[in-house]
Amino acid sequence: MNEELDSQLSAMFDDELPPGECELLARRLSRDEQLKARWGRYAVMGAVIRAERGLRLNAPLAGRVSAVLLTEPELGAAAALPGPHGRVRWWQPLAATAVAAGVAAVAIVWLRAQSPLAGAVLTSHLTPPPAVPASVTVATASAAGPDSYTVPRPPKLAPMPVPSTELANYVVAHSMFSSPVARRNLLSAFMTSESGTAGAEEVQDEARGQAH
Amino acid sequence: MGADTSDLSLVRRVQRGDKGAFDALVLKYQHKLVKLVMRYVRNAAEAEDIAQEAFIKAYRALPQFRGDSAFYTWLYRIAINTAKNAVVSRDRSPIEYNLDRSNSEESYEMQGRMKDAETPEGLVLTDEIRSTVNAAIDALPEDLRTAIVLRELEGLSYEEIAAAMDCPVGTVRSRIFRAREAIDRRLREVFEGGLGRAEELG
Repeated sequence: MNEELDSQLSAMFDDELPPGECELLARRLSRDEQLKARWGRYAVMGAVIRAERGLRLNAPLAGRVSAVLLTEPELGAAAALPGPHGRVRWWQPLAATAVAAGVAAVAIVWLRAQSPLAGAVLTSHLTPPPAVPASVTVATASAAGPDSYTVPRPPKLAPMPVPSTELANYVVAHSMFSSPVARRNLLSAFMTSESGTAGAEEVQDEARGQAH
Repeated sequence: MGADTSDLSLVRRVQRGDKGAFDALVLKYQHKLVKLVMRYVRNAAEAEDIAQEAFIKAYRALPQFRGDSAFYTWLYRIAINTAKNAVVSRDRSPIEYNLDRSNSEESYEMQGRMKDAETPEGLVLTDEIRSTVNAAIDALPEDLRTAIVLRELEGLSYEEIAAAMDCPVGTVRSRIFRAREAIDRRLREVFEGGLGRAEELG
């Protein structure tokens, strides 16, 4: 047998082989009966050196375990098949949907609270902008007088096609079936458009008020 | 080299469906496990049965093994629990020896177990293995003998042995390997001859 291979086997038996070499040798060890027998004799040597009395050093225990395991399913296959370990329980999709819906609802509330446009709309109500053009205001302030600041008017957004609430509900309810990225994009698009719409509605209200 | 690297490599293979890798784990730990179980039961054959059950339980539970502890530590716990359960179960239902039922199934099983554990051939083989290994160790050069004994008896790592023997780690690895090779040359003959004799008797 290859001396280098046997040297590796001895080091592996002592847990002193680098992990990469261990992987390769474990693969070979699991298939090579000669190598496995040598590995077993290394264990016998250890038992004798440790003076483990009362043991049957030629006991066919490994063979008996191996024979029993012949009737057992392979672990990788057992995990893939539906069974006691791999079964999906009835409540798991419901729980996943509930969690996804909860997270989405919290995200919507949080995004509404964080939206800068919502705050700007509120401010524009409290301090209506002067009737003079913005450029004149800036010139006056720089020429003389105290510094002043005018809250900028929120950008006038073109009306956007607004996804209906039903669409948002649909996205949230079926979020477990969509990819996280797609779900996030849809929800953020919905939030942006909703904020934008709110701002546009305010501008329209204001314009109507000025006309009156 | 992390501790338990080799066991973990074998465990991962078993988890991916390679049963052959589990044989290697059984071969490595069978003596330690039987020795452990013999703290609970005195009979070597009964200890082997319990160890066998523990190995099979471990195999079935292996998908749940995440490697948070060393494989042997995990196996050790399974074996202890199996042994305790076996003792409790045995105490609850003591075996009644009925000499009149010499042809019954239980009686055959008991006889078979006694024969399996205590045949003169089995005892002779075990003694032969033990004396062969001891003789081979005595015949080793001093540096090889020290290296293998420090490893197997004291459980030192290669690094610790290197420090103790004042030599590089690579030299330790080589000395332990050469010691095992020398012992194995003689042990292989006993195993092959011994198993042959056992088959002749069977």
